[in-house]
Amino acid sequence: MEQSSMDLWKPIKVIRLRVYRYNPKKDYFPEWREYEIEVSRGTTILDALLRIKEEIDPSLSFRYSCGQALCGSCAMMINGRQMLACRTRVLEVAHGRDLVELRPLDNFPVIRDLACDFTSFFEKHRAVKPWIIRKDSDELDNPTGEYKQSIEEYARYYQFTDCLKCGACYSACPTTATDHAYLGPQALSQAYRYMVDSRDDGFDERIPIVDTEHGCWRCHFATSCSDVCPKYVDPAQGIQLLKKLIIRRKFGLKPHRPAEVLPSKIGEVKRR
Amino acid sequence: MRESTKMLLHYITGLLIVVTGLIHLLANNDPNVGKLITGNVYLYLTNMSVFLASLLYHAFNGIRVILIELVPDACWTRLIGWALLLIGIATYAVGIQVLLMSLGLV
Repeated sequence: MEQSSMDLWKPIKVIRLRVYRYNPKKDYFPEWREYEIEVSRGTTILDALLRIKEEIDPSLSFRYSCGQALCGSCAMMINGRQMLACRTRVLEVAHGRDLVELRPLDNFPVIRDLACDFTSFFEKHRAVKPWIIRKDSDELDNPTGEYKQSIEEYARYYQFTDCLKCGACYSACPTTATDHAYLGPQALSQAYRYMVDSRDDGFDERIPIVDTEHGCWRCHFATSCSDVCPKYVDPAQGIQLLKKLIIRRKFGLKPHRPAEVLPSKIGEVKRR
Repeated sequence: MRESTKMLLHYITGLLIVVTGLIHLLANNDPNVGKLITGNVYLYLTNMSVFLASLLYHAFNGIRVILIELVPDACWTRLIGWALLLIGIATYAVGIQVLLMSLGLV
């Protein structure tokens, strides 16, 4: 007999969610609390958390916004790995067991339970001036047309435009774990994104920010940032290309060819 | 000095360690190369001076990188840099003196 679409939503398993609970204003130590919920095939971690908050424990805190892997607000450690709660299905991460562990992102101070403080992360993001810097102020004041760009020029940076600022890469970075002044994979790959943009004139403005003791040279190329990125952006590659860009500029060479950034066809990175 | 210059030197000295270290190894173990290098004391001295300088820069810069990651404070970063530079220069001076003595030049 054919399965009706409604059957897909029927609960098929009871899962225990082991959730990190900590309120720094009240608690001396964090604690783990377990919640049992029934899940169906499509239940995501975010669905499960919302159900816990609505039906079991209203005091549980976590952050979310769009619910469709576009805003990056719900990034958290799911079974020890940085993931988006809205995109992760409970049964996928349970791996046949009945326990899923949730805790806040590493390398971030905890505000409460699963919600982290992103202040330092966004300060570092802003520090690299993540916008197009132009020197032609007359054109900016009285625009005469568009800033045109070839597909090759666009290909240099396009994959880095997908960054959600979810903090997964920053959380996975082993350098950030010890060096709190390190700019981090997100900010550095965004710096690269703007520094190779053919419309941007801000190379010299960004150099004193990224070419420092705690800038791009502190990346040890562990690639854990690229490994956990939910949007398949490759921040580790961005940082290595940024180093290359700085060295090439030192010797008066032009930026590398786009082919070095991307496979021959745009979109191939998405299909990995 | 910008961090990129320091790190570029780090990579160059890494390469120099391999080249001059290999020459040093061959000079002491291969009779043909040994005759060529150790036969000319100044050639041997030049190779060893470059080897020692590269080794010290590479090693001390490595230590600097580890320390500034562990103590990411601007004041400490400067202090660590200067302290390691002075220790490096002193070690190089002692190394060169030992080398000159072993070659019978002083």
